[in-house]
Amino acid sequence: MSAITADKISKKFRIPHEKKTTLFQNIVGVIKRQFDYEEFWALKGVSFEVENGETFGIVGRNGSGKSTLLKILAKVLYPDSGSVKMNGKVASFLELGIGFQQELTAEENVYIYSSILGISRKQVKRIYDDIFAFAELKKFEDMKLKNLSSGMYMRLAFSTAIHANPDTILIDEVFAVGDEAFQKKCIDKINGLQKQGKTIIFVSHDLKAVKGLCRRSLLLNEGKIISMGATEKVINDYLALLNGG
Amino acid sequence: MRKGEGGARVAERLQYKAKMWQYRELVRNLTIADFKSRYQNTSLGFLWSILSPLLLAGVLYFVFRHLFGQEEDFAANLLVGIMAWRFFTIGTTSSLHAIVNKPSLVTKVYIPRQILVLSNVLANLISSLLEFVVLLSIIFILLGHLSITVLLFPLIHFLYFWLIFGAGLLLSSLFVYFRDLDQMWEVLINVLFFCSPIVYPLSVVPPYLMPYYMLNPLTQIIVIYRRVMVAGDIPSLTSLVGVIVVGIVVYLVGNLVFSKLQRRFAEEM
Repeated sequence: MSAITADKISKKFRIPHEKKTTLFQNIVGVIKRQFDYEEFWALKGVSFEVENGETFGIVGRNGSGKSTLLKILAKVLYPDSGSVKMNGKVASFLELGIGFQQELTAEENVYIYSSILGISRKQVKRIYDDIFAFAELKKFEDMKLKNLSSGMYMRLAFSTAIHANPDTILIDEVFAVGDEAFQKKCIDKINGLQKQGKTIIFVSHDLKAVKGLCRRSLLLNEGKIISMGATEKVINDYLALLNGG
Repeated sequence: MRKGEGGARVAERLQYKAKMWQYRELVRNLTIADFKSRYQNTSLGFLWSILSPLLLAGVLYFVFRHLFGQEEDFAANLLVGIMAWRFFTIGTTSSLHAIVNKPSLVTKVYIPRQILVLSNVLANLISSLLEFVVLLSIIFILLGHLSITVLLFPLIHFLYFWLIFGAGLLLSSLFVYFRDLDQMWEVLINVLFFCSPIVYPLSVVPPYLMPYYMLNPLTQIIVIYRRVMVAGDIPSLTSLVGVIVVGIVVYLVGNLVFSKLQRRFAEEM
């Protein structure tokens, strides 16, 4: 069974020339038949399938639609046409540490962040020690978040999110977390999750990391898939695109 | 085929309900955070929730007592009206901002977005319940007794909560698209205040206007509160049914509009 089935998804953004948000401006706009926005297709008919337990890479230049695609998979955005089917629980790493509050302790923040990820208090208690052990922050659990360094902050967030035990994980460039030693730990953790049979969607500009993790990938350009298949080949196409354009 | 689609819709609804349950922890956290933030950095804290309606009631009492002071239980009725009014006005105006005030929870992560409105209205429900507890003790002092019909209060308050939640869903989702709505709502709230029997008794409403006047659900609710809390009567069945129907309709419309509009929330923020 496939973990993700995306069927011809398209996404259109409206880019206003001048932001109109008041009702009056909108009414005037409608009466004058003047829609002051440009339509911009961020994704055009994107279809792909990801098998259960597969690690799948998405590469492409800035503005090619990678983040839009990931946000649609994460259900933050909805496609204008087409459909996405996802099986199991999905965790998205679009941004780490959402809802973290500076005035609360590391412990309280772990509970709050977990609740945003849809994990019950009981579950958090079970993985609590693992979260702090992985983040190497056991000593700091009673400290207010504002007193932690930004590296510690990211480690805590990453560790909480990775222990949420989802079936599918969406990762967008979050490997700039912590120092090199911790980054290596993150890669090891991802490898461990792969072995457990988790499905991972990996978006990155770090082609080495994509090559190391993903067997299959797709290349997006201007909202369309221009290459899909074995990562080696996709990356070669990407490099050709970069050099050609 | 159509039947299969219907089944899928039902399954989707059930799945959605299960999701809401999965996120109960988040509802709790957001409710507590909302409740706390309201009185943050004030030295009297939650006392303001009691103090400000009491002060308002005091002012209104001294202004209007010469006009309506001879009405039966004027002071008690005035207080009930103000407390009921507060739940509506604070509940709707604060939930209007519930989505816009939490951009990161809308644009960075998936959660059932109704939760943002629900937790906001729940925080208001807690304030309101505490206010009514204080109100009941004041009524006891004013009247010398409390009637048994007070036991109906939780049911009525729940219906009222549902109505406000529905209105909150509608307002908060529209506000993402039309940022004038908060100004318009403020005006409308003021109009509603004078169209509801809060500072004046029902008897001053001209008879020919009465049928229209009673269409205001807030009027019905305030009358019901007064009956069970002050007069010691059971509310009339028609008004109770009316409030239930309005509550359900507002909730259904609010939920429908919210579900449709939330699809583009992340782009419009």
